[in-house]
Amino acid sequence: MKNYIKLTILFVAVAFASCTDVIDVPVQTAETRLVIEASLDWDKGTAGNNQTISLRTSTAFFETNSNTSATGATVTVTNDADNTQVLFVDQNNGDYTTDEFIPVMNQSFTLEVIYNGETYIATETLNPVPDIEEVYQGIEDGFNDEELEVHVVFQDPPEEGNNVFFKFKNQRDLLPTLEVGDDRFVNGNEIDWWLELDDDDETDEVESFQPGDIVDIEMAAISTAYKDYLEILISQIGGVGLFEATPVAVKGNCANLTNPENYAHGYFRLTEVNKFSYTFE
Amino acid sequence: MFKQSKKIRLFLFTCVLVCTAVSAQNSYTISGTITDASNGETLFGASVFLKGTTNGVVTNEYGFYSLTAPKGEYTLNVSYMGYNEISKAVTLDKNQKIDFEISEFSTALEEVVVTAEEPERALLRKPEMSVAKMNIGTVKKMPVVLGEVDILKSLQMLPGVTNNGEGTGGFHVRGGAGDQNLVLLDEAIIYNTSHMFGFFSVFNADAIKDVKLYKGGIPARFGGRVSSVLDVRQKDGNNKRFEATGGIGIISSRLALEGPLFKEKGSFLIAGRRSYADLLLKAAGEDNSVSFYDLNLKTNYNINDNNKLYLSGYFGRDAFELGDSFSSSYGNSTGNLRWNHIFNEKLFSNLSAVVSRYDYDLGITAAEFDWISSISNYNLKYDLKYYFSNNFKLDFGASGIYYDFNPGQIIPTSDTAEVNPLLLDSKKAFESGIYVNAEHKLSEKLNAQYGVRISGFTRFGGQAMVDYANDQPVVYNPTLGIYERGIAVGETDYAKGDAIESFTNFEPRASLAYTLNENSSLKLGFSRAAQYIHLLSNTASATPLDVWTPSGEFVKPQLSNQYAFGYFRNFKDQVYSMEAEVYYKNTDNRIDYIDGSDLIGQNTIETEILNGESRAYGLELLFRKNEGNFTGWIAYTLSKSEQRTPGGSAGGLGINDGEWYNTPYDRTHDVSISGSYRLNDKWSFGTNLVFQTGRPVTYPNGQYEYEGLSIASYAPRNSDRLPAYHRLDLSVNYKPNRKPEKRFKGEWVLGIYNAYNRKNAASISFGQNIETGANEATRTAIFGMVPSLTYNFKF
Repeated sequence: MKNYIKLTILFVAVAFASCTDVIDVPVQTAETRLVIEASLDWDKGTAGNNQTISLRTSTAFFETNSNTSATGATVTVTNDADNTQVLFVDQNNGDYTTDEFIPVMNQSFTLEVIYNGETYIATETLNPVPDIEEVYQGIEDGFNDEELEVHVVFQDPPEEGNNVFFKFKNQRDLLPTLEVGDDRFVNGNEIDWWLELDDDDETDEVESFQPGDIVDIEMAAISTAYKDYLEILISQIGGVGLFEATPVAVKGNCANLTNPENYAHGYFRLTEVNKFSYTFE
Repeated sequence: MFKQSKKIRLFLFTCVLVCTAVSAQNSYTISGTITDASNGETLFGASVFLKGTTNGVVTNEYGFYSLTAPKGEYTLNVSYMGYNEISKAVTLDKNQKIDFEISEFSTALEEVVVTAEEPERALLRKPEMSVAKMNIGTVKKMPVVLGEVDILKSLQMLPGVTNNGEGTGGFHVRGGAGDQNLVLLDEAIIYNTSHMFGFFSVFNADAIKDVKLYKGGIPARFGGRVSSVLDVRQKDGNNKRFEATGGIGIISSRLALEGPLFKEKGSFLIAGRRSYADLLLKAAGEDNSVSFYDLNLKTNYNINDNNKLYLSGYFGRDAFELGDSFSSSYGNSTGNLRWNHIFNEKLFSNLSAVVSRYDYDLGITAAEFDWISSISNYNLKYDLKYYFSNNFKLDFGASGIYYDFNPGQIIPTSDTAEVNPLLLDSKKAFESGIYVNAEHKLSEKLNAQYGVRISGFTRFGGQAMVDYANDQPVVYNPTLGIYERGIAVGETDYAKGDAIESFTNFEPRASLAYTLNENSSLKLGFSRAAQYIHLLSNTASATPLDVWTPSGEFVKPQLSNQYAFGYFRNFKDQVYSMEAEVYYKNTDNRIDYIDGSDLIGQNTIETEILNGESRAYGLELLFRKNEGNFTGWIAYTLSKSEQRTPGGSAGGLGINDGEWYNTPYDRTHDVSISGSYRLNDKWSFGTNLVFQTGRPVTYPNGQYEYEGLSIASYAPRNSDRLPAYHRLDLSVNYKPNRKPEKRFKGEWVLGIYNAYNRKNAASISFGQNIETGANEATRTAIFGMVPSLTYNFKF
């Protein structure tokens, strides 16, 4: 709910600040780091054996065309209960894949990545996701009463401390929208999660949802640590304005055991996920 | 609390006793009040002296003076810049009371001479330093944005005072944060100084008499903030005749009415201001609207020569609506009842009972809930001044403030609301202060001011407080290199009235002025100050939503020491003056926020913060032309403001790896030039030129792909800067056909803010272009060139 409160401030500020333009700004360039995108998503109702972990490197901020795949690493995931280890096979394009992963609910797993002689370790527990009760479209919620929004209804579990992660992508858009929430103010309630996209006055593109649009949705239950991580990450996507928190380093859970200073970007996450699409009418 | 008040009483009793006992017998005292002849307003800072001697005094906030000299024949001289000087022969053979009414030059003389008010010149003999005083007349001559005279924006033209960019509220003094300023309107604490997110200040210039900003060397009678005190006083109201002043502008209009009451034994002032953009927007069929209004009230009553009552109030409110989805309103309200009592010709006293409140309400229709937060305080203070002798004066007094913090409450507005009701723990606290301060003339050349304030603060219970494992609300995770919230292991219940934590601080204040010659002096100052309440804000700029929190178990009081040294000089018969000061200030227990801190609806603030320190130093230069058709000043500040937040008991190196980093208020260079030129009775012109080093910000230093998005990694905290800020403002005042005998006086003010249309960045944000996916930097500029037209009137 606090997102609403934050958004209000932003919208008012934006209402005043009508004058924006794109400019050239010199920025600093940090040393390159390894990026571990280890999202082991167990698509609800499937076996969950096929998984991919991507390793890349970071680049200068305005860099647009460099190959960032990190190859030659050894990537394994171990079930912490029975010590069964799965090796992810290097595809030489930054992806490391397996078809042997066996997900176990509420079980902790450990990721180990050995890259350039340095060992990165992360541990995470697989969380169950609530069922989707309803998906529908509406028009009245949101900031604009004329734009369509998609609604996802689910039941928050009775105990406090549940977190959800949503990824929405309109198929005709280039970039997805990420959202994250906890049940701090809404514990145990039926939640109606909605997303409305607004047109940007600065561009001619129609960014809002239109009839016929298909939006792909992923909903995952996530750990509190991952939620904290994503909250910072999401709040800094698209830049940070005057009334938003000062930008900070986003540190994930992949610790570098060889050289702690050289931590990796990204996260090792284990989630059960609802994947579905909605077509606007 | 009881103990404290007992101490205060004992202290006051001793003070009065000592003062009365040592009273000299061969001398006599003249005392009285100095007022403006045209409207009866008491004059603050007028000087009264005995001709041919160095025996003199300036009037206090209530226009009162008291002067003691050996028996004899004297000529008493009263002067105040811009006013006619008065001389009066007095025979000092008994204590006597003489009130003076003095009149402005312009009403008496054929030729109008523009002069600065006395306090704006360099005051050489007074040890007072690091003070910026602005007379409302000067403020009104400066060009303004959107046609609204703004005290805070005018103060920012002086050295050492900055803001955090256009469209942000508050101000920053000598590299301090916005919450480190004590802002007083008729002694009542104002918690939010801006309307419309900083576009306007809450001070309606028509209701204000004078403004004094203490950047350092804060007198012992003020306490509770470590950076500055902004003391704003409302007009008392004209007690000679009914008068109306007002203005019609493009954004807002205002009207002030004042006049005598009770057969000139009293007077009143009522001033109102309202913006009407919302009305225009609504008329244009726009759903979104923004508006503000404020109301200033003041009345006073002279019971007799020795007793006077003042009642003043302020009510201000901002509101905005975004369609039917959101509505919000916030504002300050204050009230103050004061009793001036003159015990005798040497002892002046004032008792004040003040209430003040700030609240923020947010209604989110879309999600069916209201959010409310507020801070209220009740303040009782008693200030006395004993005019012991020509060489020695003593200020002393006591103050008690009871705070009631309501950090936040969620109220669902329907049964179907998804949100659960929530009430964050309300917090109660009591802040006390007793002080004594001496103005001591040590020799003809050496004047001193020294004193001490003893402050106390108690955070009261009435709720359970979370206990943390190892007493650590924040814990460093060495594996991941991040700060995490501590583990709650239980709760300790505190009953109402139980002290959760208490603090006492000893705050010495001292300054010294050495007069080199008739035109120059050196000054030296030291002050220590404690601050017990803190505004929680992890954003680049404070928002109206930010909540205040008291010191307690985990949030320690901020303590600062400031050292200043200055050289002051007047040139050419005081036509020009120059002030140069250097300062160094360090503050302990300045809180900063851990990465990913979450302050909204947060009941356990201690899990989001670490205690650090800050330091600031700089050089300030001010060169003024005080008289003539052309008046104005050039101000230059060279400064540094930085902070450091080590991990402390939480472990780890701390925020930004424990390194010093720039505060958002750091400005290496700050140049302000302000001038006004009076061509003739009808036309006058004003200009401002401002140049400032850009605000420290944090830019990306890399990117990586995650979840199909380009994610920025960020450089160390505040290690980049926005482009330099500069702008030029111009204004023209036109007074059509002004006949002196006519009561109605009108004036047109045409202003151009940011005349060369510089796109000053309020912020620069970095993100992906939604069409190409490439990273880009987007600048947000708030004001381009803004012309404005206002019509002011008075009758």
